Amino acid sequence: MDYVFLIPILPLLSFLIILFTKPIYKKAGLVGTTLTGAAFLCSLVVLFSHFAQGNYLVEANWFSIDTVMISVGLEVNPLNALMLVIVTLVSFLVHMYSMGYMANDERYATFFSYLGLFTFSMTGLVLSPNLLQLYMFWELVGVCSFLLVGFYFYKPEARAAAKKAFIMTRIGDVGLLVAIFLLFWQTGSFELDVIFQAAQAGDIAPSLLTLIAILIFVGAVGKSGQFPLHTWLPDAMEGPTPVSALIHAATMVAAGVYLVAVTYPLFSASEVAMTTVAVTGGFTAIFAATIALAETDMKRILAYSTISQLGYMMLALGAAGYTAGVFHLTTHAFFKALLFLAAGSVIHAVHEQNIFKMGGLSKKLPKTAALFLIGSLSISGFPLLAGFFSKDEILATTYGDGRYVLFVIGLLTAFLTALYMFRLYFLVFLGNRSTEAREAPSVMLIPMMVLGVLAVVGGYIQTNWFGTFLGDWLETTPYTIAFVHPEAPFWIPLVASLLAIGGIAVAWLVYGRKTSIEESNERNGLHTLLYRKYYVDELYQGLFVRGSRVVAYFWMYVDRFIIEGGAAAVTYAVKRFGQAGVKLQSGQVQTYSTVAFSGLVVVLLLIAVLGGYF
Amino acid sequence: MSSVPLSAYLVTALLLFCMGLYGALTKRNAVIVLISIELMLNAVNLNLVAFAKYGVGASIRGQVFSLFTITVAAAEAAVGLAILIALYRNRATVNVDEMNTLKK
Amino acid sequence: MTGELLVFIVLFLITITGGLLMLNLTKVIHMMMALVLTFLGIAGFYIMLSAEFVAVVQILIYSGAITIIMLFGIMLTKHTEAEPKTGWAKKGVVFTGIVLFFLIMFKGIRTISLGPQADDLHVNNTEQIGIMLYTDYVIPFELVSVVLLVALVGAVVLAKKDEKDEKEGEQS
Repeated sequence: MDYVFLIPILPLLSFLIILFTKPIYKKAGLVGTTLTGAAFLCSLVVLFSHFAQGNYLVEANWFSIDTVMISVGLEVNPLNALMLVIVTLVSFLVHMYSMGYMANDERYATFFSYLGLFTFSMTGLVLSPNLLQLYMFWELVGVCSFLLVGFYFYKPEARAAAKKAFIMTRIGDVGLLVAIFLLFWQTGSFELDVIFQAAQAGDIAPSLLTLIAILIFVGAVGKSGQFPLHTWLPDAMEGPTPVSALIHAATMVAAGVYLVAVTYPLFSASEVAMTTVAVTGGFTAIFAATIALAETDMKRILAYSTISQLGYMMLALGAAGYTAGVFHLTTHAFFKALLFLAAGSVIHAVHEQNIFKMGGLSKKLPKTAALFLIGSLSISGFPLLAGFFSKDEILATTYGDGRYVLFVIGLLTAFLTALYMFRLYFLVFLGNRSTEAREAPSVMLIPMMVLGVLAVVGGYIQTNWFGTFLGDWLETTPYTIAFVHPEAPFWIPLVASLLAIGGIAVAWLVYGRKTSIEESNERNGLHTLLYRKYYVDELYQGLFVRGSRVVAYFWMYVDRFIIEGGAAAVTYAVKRFGQAGVKLQSGQVQTYSTVAFSGLVVVLLLIAVLGGYF
Repeated sequence: MSSVPLSAYLVTALLLFCMGLYGALTKRNAVIVLISIELMLNAVNLNLVAFAKYGVGASIRGQVFSLFTITVAAAEAAVGLAILIALYRNRATVNVDEMNTLKK
Repeated sequence: MTGELLVFIVLFLITITGGLLMLNLTKVIHMMMALVLTFLGIAGFYIMLSAEFVAVVQILIYSGAITIIMLFGIMLTKHTEAEPKTGWAKKGVVFTGIVLFFLIMFKGIRTISLGPQADDLHVNNTEQIGIMLYTDYVIPFELVSVVLLVALVGAVVLAKKDEKDEKEGEQS
C-alpha cells in the first residue's frame, strides 16, 4: 500500500525517459509498455491490499498561506483503487497495441512519451485527495489530450480538432475552477474530506451548494463530452486510434464521470443538481445515439457511442445510482477500449474509415471481427455480457429513483445503441465486398483479446444473481451517499435484452442481409438532420464563433481607427510640427534672422501692449 | 532752440533702419544684403550723431563713437566682401538662398 | 518755416528716396548708386548736427570706399539681369514685422526730448574729436587700428585664390 506513489511515478518516468532519450527510438514503445505494465501491477496490488486494509491516505504540506495549509497527497479509496486499475490497465494495453499500430510512424517515440504523460496525469488525477491537486492534473489531462489529438498536426483537421478539444473542455474547466473557488471560500480548504464534512454538516447554504454542484458538473460536461459541450469528442477522432481508445475508455472522458463520482456527496445533497445531471445525461445519451445512426465514419460512430454511454453514466449518477454509474464506467472502459482497438485494427488494415466503403472484412480479419462482435454485443447489452449488467443496473436505478421519462429514454437508447453498433458491424464485416486487408500483428491482437475477455466477464462483479460485490465495496465510504438499492422489477432486464436483440435484428434486416450497400446521397429530412449532427456545430459556428468574430472585428476597428487613429493623430501632429521645424532649419541665414527678428517684434509688442512701455 | 527736433532725426534713422532691415531680410543678392546692412549701420550712426547734439549730456563723444562705428563697418564690408568672393568662387552664385550649408 | 527745416526736409527726401530706390530697383548697380544718394543725404544730416568731420568721413568712407568695394564685388561676381524674386509669404511676414517694429519705435520716439542741446560742437569740431580720440579713447583707437589691420589681412587671405584651386583651374 505504501508503494501507491509508484503508480503515477512510473508513467511519468516513462514520459521523461522517452523524452530525453529519443535516440533509443525503437525501444520507446517497449520502455513505455514495461513501465505502464509495472504501474498496472502496482494498481492491482493496491486494489487487493485495499480489500484487506481499507482506505489509505498520505499527505504532506505543500505550502501554507497564513493559516491555510495547502497539502499534496495520495488517497486510496474504493473508487480510486478501481479507477487506477482501469486506467493503468487500459493504458498498458494501449501502449502495447500502439507498438504495433504506430510502428511506422516517424514520431513513434514522441507518441509514447505523450502516452506516458497522459497516463501520469490521469493516475495523478485519480489519486488526488484535494481539489487543487485534482485541478492541476485535470488541466494536465487536457493538455495531453490536446497534444495527442493534434498528434498528426500536419493535417489541418487534426489541428482544428485539437484546438476545439482544448477550447471546449476549457469552457467546462472554468465551471470547475469557479466551483473550487466557491468551495474554498465556503470551507477554507481544498481537502475533499473537509469539504464533504462541511457539506454534510450543512455549513454551506443549500442554494450555494446546488450552484457549486452544477458548476462542478459543468466541468464534467466539458471533459466527458456531454451535451452541449460534446462537439469536440467526435472531432478528437483525428488523433491516432489508440489515443481515441485511451481518451474514450480510461482517461479524458472518464475524468468527467470520475469527477462527479468523487464529489458525489455534494451532488447527493442537492436534488436540483442531481436532476440536472440525470436529465443532461439522459438527453445526451439519446441525442448522441441518434447521431450515431447516421454517421458514416467508423471512428465517429464509436465517438458518438461514447458520448451516449457517458450520458448513461451521468444518468445513473443523477438518479442516485452511484454504483451503477461507476459500474458502467468500468465495463464501458473495457468494451469501448476493445471497440476502438478493433476499429484501429481495421483502419490499420484497410486505411479507410468510411463504413460504406468497407465490407466483408470478417473473412480477412477473422480475429478482429470476432473481437469487434464481442465488443458490439457487450455495448448493446446482449444478455450475460458485461454491458448487459451495467446497463441493467442503470435502468433499474433510474426506474427505482422514479424517473420514468428518463427510464424510457434509457430503454430507447439501449435499442438505438444495438441498432447503430450492428449497423456498423454488419456494414464493415459482413457482405461480400472484398477489400484487401491483412490481420493485425499479435502485439495488437493480444490487448484486444484481454479486453475481449474482460468485456465478457467484467459484468460479474456486480449482478443481482451472484452478488453485488462492487456496490458493497464502493459503499464503504464514510459519507452517506444516497445509495439506492433498486428492487429491480424482474421485467427490466428482460425488456432491455429484448430491445437489444430487437435493435440487432433491425440492423440485420436493414443492413445485414444485403451483400453490398452503397452510401446513398439521397437523404430525407430526418436523416440529414442526424447526419449533420443536429446542426450543433453549425449553431456554435454561427452563434459563438461568428459572434466572437463580430465582437473581435468591432474591437479591431475600434483599435484600428479610434485608438490607432488617436495615436496616428498624435504622431502626425508631432511629425508636422517637426517638419515645420525642419523647414525653419533651411540653412539660410535670412530665414534665421527673420525668425529672430519676429521674436523680437513679438516681445516688443507684448511690452507695448501689456504696458510698462519704456 | 533748433527748429528741427531730435525726434525728426530719430524717425529718419528709424526709417532708414527699417529699409535696411527689409533689404537684409528679403533681398536674394548677397551684395545687396551686405549694403543693406551698411544702411542699417548708417542709421545707427545718424542716431549717435543726433544724440551727440540733442541727447542726455550731449557732447562730442557721440561723434567719436560714430567714427568707431564707421571704421568697424568699413572693416566688416571688406571682410564680408572677401567672404562673398571666396564663396562665389566655390559655388558660383551670390544667391543667398543657395547658401544653406548651415543646415549640414 | 526756417531754412534749417527746409534743408532737413530736402535731405530727408533725398535719403528716403535713395533707400526706396535701393529697395525697388532691379539692377544691382542701380541699387548701389541709389544707396550713394542715401549716404550723401546722411552726410548732410551730419553737417546739420554740427558734425562736419563725421560728415566728411561719411562721404569719404561710405560714398567713396565702401561703394567702390561693393562695386568691385558686383563686378567680380556674375549677376543675372534681374534680381531673383523673393516669395510673397516671406516678404509679407518680414514687412508686417518691420511695420510693427516701426510703429512701436515710432510711438516711443515721436515726442522724445532729452535735455538741452550741445552748443559748442561746431567750434573746432575736428580738433575736439582729435583731442577726445587721443585722450579718453586712445586704447579703443589703437584697437580699432588692429581691427582694421586684421580685416585687411583677413580680406586678402579670404579673397586670395587657393594654391589647390589654382592648380585645378589650370588643369580644367
